[in-house]
Parts: sequence; structure tokens; C-alpha cells
Amino acid sequence: MRLPLLALLAKEPAHGYELKQALEATFGSAYPSPNIGQIYVTLGRLEKDGYVRAVDVEQSNRPNKKVYYLTAAGREALEAWVDEPTEGPRVRDEFFMKLVLAPLTGISDRMALVNRQRRHYLSLMRDLDELAERTDPGNRVARLLIEGAMLHLQADLDWLERCQEDLT
Amino acid sequence: MTQPPVVKVTGLVKIYQTGGLPVPAVRGVDLVVEAGEFVAIMGPSGSGKSTFVHMLGGLETRTSGEIWLDGKRADTLSESAWAVLRRQKVGFVFQFLNLVTNMTVADNVELPALLGGASPRQARERREYLLSELGLEERAAAAPGRLSGGEQQRVALARALANHPRLLLADEPTGNLDSRNTRDVLKLLGKVHRQGQTIVLVTHDARVASMADRVVSILDGQIVDDAPIARAPRRPVGTAGDIVELHG
Amino acid sequence: MRVIGGSGRAEVRWIRADLRARRGQALLTIVAVAGIVTALITAATLLEDGTNPWRGLFERGRGAHVWIHTKGVPDVAALRGLGGVTDIAGPYRSAPATLAERGRKVPIALQESTAELPPVARPLLREGRWLDAGNPEGVVVEQSFARALGLRPGSPFPVTGLNGATHTLVVAGLAESGDQGFYPEWTPGLAWTLAPTLTMVEPAPGRTETVTGLRLADAAYTDIVVQQAVITLRNQVQRVSTWREVRASMELDNRLLGLLLALFGLAGLVAAALALANAAGGRILTQLRDIATLKSLGFTRGQVIRMLVAEHGTLGLAGIALGLVAGRLITTYALSGTVVVPLSPGPTLAIAAGTALVVLVAVWLPAWRGGVTPPIPAAPASPPGGRLSRLARLALLVRLPPALVLGARDAFTRPATAALTVAGVAVPMMMITIGLGCWATLDDFIRHPEQVGQAAALSVRPGDLTAQEALGRAMADPDVVTAYPGVELDALVPWQTRTVRTRALGLSGDPYPFPVVEGRMFRDRGEAVAGQGLLDLLGVRIGDRVRMTIGGTPLIVKIVGRVIEPEQDGEVLSFGIDSLAAKDATPPQFYSLVLRPGADPGEVRRRLESRSLEVDQAVNPADRLAVIRLIIVALVAVLALIGLANLLTASALGLRDHLLDLAVLKAMGLTPRQVMATLVTGTGLLVTAGAVLGGAAGASLSKGVIDLEGRSSGVGAGIGRAPTPGMLAAAVLVAIGASLLVALIPARRAARAQVPVTAR
Repeated sequence: MRLPLLALLAKEPAHGYELKQALEATFGSAYPSPNIGQIYVTLGRLEKDGYVRAVDVEQSNRPNKKVYYLTAAGREALEAWVDEPTEGPRVRDEFFMKLVLAPLTGISDRMALVNRQRRHYLSLMRDLDELAERTDPGNRVARLLIEGAMLHLQADLDWLERCQEDLT
Repeated sequence: MTQPPVVKVTGLVKIYQTGGLPVPAVRGVDLVVEAGEFVAIMGPSGSGKSTFVHMLGGLETRTSGEIWLDGKRADTLSESAWAVLRRQKVGFVFQFLNLVTNMTVADNVELPALLGGASPRQARERREYLLSELGLEERAAAAPGRLSGGEQQRVALARALANHPRLLLADEPTGNLDSRNTRDVLKLLGKVHRQGQTIVLVTHDARVASMADRVVSILDGQIVDDAPIARAPRRPVGTAGDIVELHG
Repeated sequence: MRVIGGSGRAEVRWIRADLRARRGQALLTIVAVAGIVTALITAATLLEDGTNPWRGLFERGRGAHVWIHTKGVPDVAALRGLGGVTDIAGPYRSAPATLAERGRKVPIALQESTAELPPVARPLLREGRWLDAGNPEGVVVEQSFARALGLRPGSPFPVTGLNGATHTLVVAGLAESGDQGFYPEWTPGLAWTLAPTLTMVEPAPGRTETVTGLRLADAAYTDIVVQQAVITLRNQVQRVSTWREVRASMELDNRLLGLLLALFGLAGLVAAALALANAAGGRILTQLRDIATLKSLGFTRGQVIRMLVAEHGTLGLAGIALGLVAGRLITTYALSGTVVVPLSPGPTLAIAAGTALVVLVAVWLPAWRGGVTPPIPAAPASPPGGRLSRLARLALLVRLPPALVLGARDAFTRPATAALTVAGVAVPMMMITIGLGCWATLDDFIRHPEQVGQAAALSVRPGDLTAQEALGRAMADPDVVTAYPGVELDALVPWQTRTVRTRALGLSGDPYPFPVVEGRMFRDRGEAVAGQGLLDLLGVRIGDRVRMTIGGTPLIVKIVGRVIEPEQDGEVLSFGIDSLAAKDATPPQFYSLVLRPGADPGEVRRRLESRSLEVDQAVNPADRLAVIRLIIVALVAVLALIGLANLLTASALGLRDHLLDLAVLKAMGLTPRQVMATLVTGTGLLVTAGAVLGGAAGASLSKGVIDLEGRSSGVGAGIGRAPTPGMLAAAVLVAIGASLLVALIPARRAARAQVPVTAR
């Protein structure tokens, strides 16, 4: 969450609630809605690291609010993040551990595992489909996110098929 | 009260003779599909799933076993009797080349109705309804070659449904399409399923399979799994983030 | 045909869509079949007309079926009242007279006619003018008679009546008639005059007779009407002649012609079958995927077959209908000068039914192939990957251009298709070559008449002279080399109810140069040579003895050889005149004259005739078969068309197969020109193979086929000639050239087309 917040602050200074709203507007329902407390915790850590500075702004009939803005060090950190290539997804699949290890214990056979997992993936896929139905077709970012999730799921299913062919 | 299942298959076997060697493609399959069910058949390529669906429609002969369609024994039918059964009760959609190339879209969709004995007027009305449902009325006079892949598949689906078949069989209907066209075809499939259409469909595409009530997995010509796809109860509202984490 | 309803509608819908999608091709099929049928109809009409001119003359002149010769004027009203009689010609007066012609006296019949051409039994004016009241000396002479005597419009026509008075009349015109046979088979010669002229020549009414013609509603009534007329007219009738006698006298011995027509008809039918099978087969091959889709929809095998047969059969039948109409129109309008009446219903029906049968069979096979297609639309079939053949690798080694090598590889990638293409060119080519062989045979007849038994171009009859005098006068001519004394007699053969012609010509020691093709020439008395027809008729072979009676005298001869015998369907026995009994042999009836090579028989004939000799000129069989040449030309044209149509189908099919290859070739860097060269080479190789194969087969077959024709027509084997090497080479080269041009059109288009980016 740190760097997305830095990126938002690079655009303009903002207070915590504004950042939450900006995140939601950009990623839509496809992305888990951030908790406001979590945002303040993150901002506090960023401030401690010297990446952001908070300024108290007085409000007439309310308590003062903290408006955060980016420091030079924060900008440097952001630039470094954008410039470096991002790691691809890593296979650290829990199911694969089950599939390889479970038969050794005699608890379950691989065929049943694979079948159950397939149906689970399909039910996930159905959820994604329903999500896509509900998503505003104008929100391109959200749509792409869902499509990405679907493609990952399709890849998982294909991998599952390979596992079934080779391991059972 | 008890309606016979639309499809009932017992001990179905198909063995090809390739260069004198018997090559089994389907090795003893049992399957029952009730009316209104949507069954997806998955499996790696070469697992015999296409052969199985072709046999259900009588496009290939079975080596042994029984096929009952709509309560009637069908595996013993002659080639011609199968053809007549198909035109009355079975609609077919293939991966590609579904349309008769030298006929217009309108002619393609009217053909099954005419074949089933409808009058030209009835056939035309049914065609107009189906194409308008698909939003393809203005392509009626076009040659199939001028349609996009997705449009072609939708027309193929319309044609398969023209005679109100008891059973819709599809073999990788989206196998050749991009994701947008796939979505169009899926919408149509979902719609006819909600209207009570019985569907048996072979696919590789998880999105297509996820629409089914039941998924049947075939491996080496045998069914290894046959169960409904569970509705996940614990996530009434899911997000993509539950499946894919954005690294931060 | 069953009522179109239910699933029939679906079939009709598909057929309509398919025809719409390929209008040009469908039209080409129709035109090809129509062309064949037209050619067949035209050929048959020409043959019928050529071998039996009576029908045409009779129909055109509205001839009378029955002619009644009476002493006085008959009761016309009674004759008109006879059942079946529709019209009456005459009655006309007719008077015998003599034509004094260059010292000869030729008997003629003068027949009265009117200045206006009569509506029934109307002579058909061919040259000059008809009778005219202002010109009473004018006579119109029957054409064959005029030809025999060398008369033309304007020639003097000195007539001597029975009273001895000579009147100098003038030939006004020549006319043909279906009411009298040709001279000299039918005598006396006929001339029409006006009534006053007739009275002038023959003033005595007792010496004329009256002829009355009856035109009948149906020729089948002839016998009954004749009987009734004879009864009605009691003792008045002197003589009755009917159309049957006239027709018989006009008919040619037409077995050879009939056989040739059969051959050409067969060639035409094979060509039609080939054209259709190729067109339908090619089309269905490209449609197998669509057919699979149809079957998955619920079309049964029977339905698919029925649908395809209906579609392609309809095209064929439409072609036949069009051809029948076109043939009728051509024979009526374009050939109105040569052909008088359209083909009679029998042969027309035979041609229509024959082609229809061929069409259905030719279409059924590819339709069946389409019907058994499995109902699963397969993925686009890729052509089998062709390995470079040894030939192609050799070509690469000797550094031939790459286009040639690739083309050569392409040509034989699909052996079945390649074979079809080769056959599609080879079969028409073979037929064309056989046609050219017939042409060469006819040429040979004309150039070497001695090889068909016509060493002697002329024969003289002594007529009023003694044989010795005639011989002397003939030999006096500088162009006459040899004269062989001859006699032609009919001989009765035991066990045969009919007679055969025997020809005694030349002496056993100095025989006439008969064209002996088997055995040897006769050398002694009692030896003979025979035509194939005679050998077949009597069931004898060379070396056998035959016994016959000539004028009551028995004659036993040994057949020592077989000759080419174009006359009497080959049923002629020839031997030396000294083999005959003296009473039959002397004096000889005629002398056959062999002329100096290069002499003009017509010229010699005129000279001899001016010396009061009766001269006959031999009719070369090639002249009688002249109509064949027209048919050969038409057939060659149609066959060429069919060959090209086959080729178009083949190259279109080949192109479809090669579309993906072409993309690869272009990607590899072949220029459009090289792509074109590749495609044309592929087709060209097949075409060349087909043309050479067809030419060779035709050349080796044509002699045999024509000899077979000769044998079964009685003329005998030994007449067949293969087409000359020059002719054959020209035909093959023209065929290859035309084919390459045709192949160039699609190749050019393909070479320029955009490379398809993806396979759909």
C-alpha cells in the first residue's frame, strides 16, 4: 500500500480520507476497498521514514486535519519504484503442496484433489463473471483487473489439467 | 410426472481402427443429463470428449454401449434415421465452419426449420426473431464470410436453436474466438439456458465451463469427475483481489 | 418428381443458393452440354439429309405420295374423295420424247406444268428460272438428269417427238423433285414444259398419258389408297408409283456413314459425361465441408445425393434442352441452304435420351461421393506436403529456374487430381486425333482413288456403237492409258434369297488393279477377289470356293484375296472377264478407263462424250462422305471447348489448394511473375502430359477404329490412316498453347492477389 499512496500524493497533497476515496474511484469494486485505519497507519510509517510530511490545517468548526505531501526523499523512492521492473507472479501454490504431499499420507488421492480444486476454480470463475457483470463497463481499469484475474484462473485450470494428466 | 432424461448413456465405447490397430477414444462412459441441465465436458485434448459429443449427436457411430435421447434408444439407428432425429431434437455448434458458405445468413438460419418441414413463412418468422434477439437483423442478407468470428458463432447458435431442439450440443463453441466475442456467445448461451434449454458442451474455456450446472471431466476416454459446480457461500461479494494479489 | 414440401424445401433452398453463388460456372456447364447436343443434332441432321435426300425434297415440295399414270384424264373428284387423300397434283399430261444430244438419243419424259409453281408436288427450282408463258420454248430440267447430260440454263434442248419432228427448246432452269428418283437410277429423264409446248411436241392426244399425284395425310395409308384408286379408276390405270420407290432410288448405301455418326455420337457422349463429371466433381470437392455441415443439421445421405443430382442434373438437362433448340435453329436457319427438313423424331429422341442418361450417370457418381461425406466439418484440410521428387531435385541440380521446379512439384502433389486433369485433357485430345484420322482417311481417298478400287476414273459404255468401236475411240484419247473390259452381273448364291453383284473386269492375265489388302490378286480363270461385305454375307474366308449361278450358268470360283470395296456395302465379287461364260462376257458392257496421272477426269469425259460415247464418272466415296468433314470440324470445336472447360475447373481447384502455399512462396520472396510461372508450370506439365498422351492414343487408335468401321460397314479393313505427323503435332501444340493461355488467367489473378495474412 505504501507506494500507491506515494503515487497519489505525488499528484497533489491530500489527507487520509481523500486518499481512500481516490483509491476506490480508480480501481472500483474489483479491488478490495482499503480500510481507513490501515491508510493512516501506512501514512504514519511513511512520515517516520521521511517520505511524506504532514501539515495541520485548521478547520473552522471541526478538529484540525492532517494534509500530507511528498518530500524529496519520497519522490526519489517513488521514482525508484516506477523505474525498476516488477517481479512476475511466483508459483508458491498451496494446492500444489497438497497435491504432491497428501497422497504420501494416505489421507486423500490426487484425482479427488484435482477434481475438487477444479470445481472450486470454476466456482471462482463464476464469481468473477458475476463481478464483471456488476462492474461499470466504462471503468477500464476495473475491467482489466477482472480480466487479468480470469486469465490467471484459466492458467491455473490448465496447469491443473497438466497435473492430472501427469501425476494421476 | 417423471420425465425421462434428455440424455442417457451407458457403457459407451468408441474404438477407431488406425492402420489395423484398435485405438480406443471413449472407454465406457455413463452419463445422464436431465431436462434443463447445462453440462460442461472438460478434459485435455485427445481425451475423447469431442468424439463423445459427436456420438451423442449421431455424427459418429459407437462401437458399443447405449445412447438414449429423450427416452428413445438412438444408438441402433441408421445414418438416415439419426439425421432425421438430429433435425428434430438436436442442435449442433462446432468450433468453426458452422455455416454453409454459399448461403446467406438468413438462409442458414432458416434451413433447419425448412428441413423440419416448416413452411417458408414460419421459417422466415423464426429466423427474424432469432436474428433480432442476437442483434444481427441487418446482417441477414450477408454471406457468412463477411461476418466476424463471433457473429458467425452467434448465427451458428441461432441456427442450432431454430428448431427448438431438446438438446443443444456444442464442441468448443468459443475455441476460435477472442475474449470479447466469447462474451457475446456466452451471454447468448446463458440466456437460452435460463429459458430451460438443455445443453451439453465441450470446452477448454473456464469462463464457458463456469456457466454450467455440472462439470464432467474426461481423461483417456473415461469420466473421472462428474459433479455440480458449488456456489461459494462464504463470499457473497468477491473481488478480483481475492484471487490475485496486487503486490505492494 | 415428388411434390416439393417438407424437407424438399430445404434442398431447393440450398440448390438455389449454390447456383446463385456460381452463376458463371453453371452457365459454362450448360453451354458445354448444349454445344455437344447441338453438334450431335447438326451432325445427325446433315447425315440424314445427305444419305436420304428424299425426305427433304419431298417435304419441301409437298410431294405426292402416290402417282397414278392413266390413259385419259381420271375422275379427279373421285380420287379426292378417297379416304386419306388431302391434295391432288395435276392431272398433268406427260409425253415420251427423245433428246438428241451430241449424236446420242436419250429418252425423256416431258411433263406438263403451269407457269405458276403448283402448290402440291412442286419442283424445287435450283438454277435459272421457272416456266414462263412469254417464253414457250423454255423447259425446266430435273437437276440430276441435267447434271448427267451437262445441261445448264441456256443450253439448247432439241426434242424429237414420236412423230419424228424435232423442236429446239431451251433449258430455262433446273429443278429438284421428290416425286421422281435421280437419273440414271430413275429413267427416263424428266423435263417440265408448259401445256402448249407439250402439245406442239406431241400433238396426238393418244400418245400422251396423264399423271395424277395424290398427297396423303399419312404415308401409312399408301397401300390402301393405291388399292382404292385402282378400283375407282377401273381399267384406266396404266401404272402406279409410290414414294417408297422414289425414296429407295435416292438412298445411298449409308452403312459407313451411319457407323461414323455412331462413332461421333459416342465421342460426343463421352465428352459430355467428362465435362459434367469434371464440373460436378470439382464443385462437390470444394463443397465437402458445407455438405458435412448440412449433414450435421440433419440432411440424410439420400437427401444430399438427391440434392446434388438434382442440381447438377438440372444443369445438364437444361444444356440438353438448349442444345435441342439450338440444333433445330441452326439446321433451320444457318444451314437452310443444305438442310431441308429438321431431324426426324427418332434420332432426336435418341440423342436427347442418350445424353440425358449420360448426364445422370456422370452426375450421380460425384453426388454419391458427396453423400457419403462424414457429417463432421473437419478443419481446413491442408494439401499433402509434397516432397521434392527425384525429378525436381534433378531439376534443381541442373539449375533450372525455381518457378519451374516448384511448379513441377505442385503438379503431382495430389495424384488423383493430377490424373483427373490429365484425363480431362487427354480424352478430348484423343477424340480430336481420331477425328483428324478420319479427315486424313478422306484425304487419302481423294488423293489415291486407286487404293479404294477406283483406279479407273471413267467408264464408257458402247451405247449405239459396237464394243470395238467404243474401245477404239476411248483409246484414241491421249489421256487414256488403259481400258479394261468389264461386265457387271447379279449372281444367285445358293442358300441366299438375294443376289450379289459380280464384277468381271480385266483379264485374269491382265487384271484390273484392284486394291488387294489380304491374300493376292487373281491370276487364273476361276479365281476371284471379294469385298469384306461379301465374305461376311456368305460366311467364307480367303481360300474358300464359292458356287453361284449367273444367268442360269453355274460358276465356281476360288476367293484368293480381299479388296477394298466401297460399293454395295462391300458385297461384290470381282474376277477376270475370262472367268465368265462367253455368252455373258462378250461383248463387254463397258470399258473402265485408267487415265494418265494428273489428267482431269471431267475434261476427258467431255472429250469422250463429244465422240458420242456414254461416259460415267466414278463417284469417290470421299465425296459422298464430305458431310463428315463438317461434322469433324464441329466436333473438334466442341471437344476443344470441353477440354478447356475441364482445365478451368482443374486450375480453379488447384489454386484453392495452393492459396496457402502461395502466401508462403511470396513470403519466401518469389516475385508475382515467378508465382505465376510456378502456377502455369504446374498446370502446363499436366496439360502437356494429357495432350501428348491423348494425341498418341488417338493416333494409334484412329487407324484401328476407322478400320473397324470399314470392316463392319463391308468396305473392309485397310482404309484407315493415322493423321499426318504434321497435323498431329500442330493439334498437340495448339492444345497446349490454348491450355496455357487458359491457365494463365487464374494464375495471373492469384499472383497479384494479396497474401492472406491468416487462415480463417
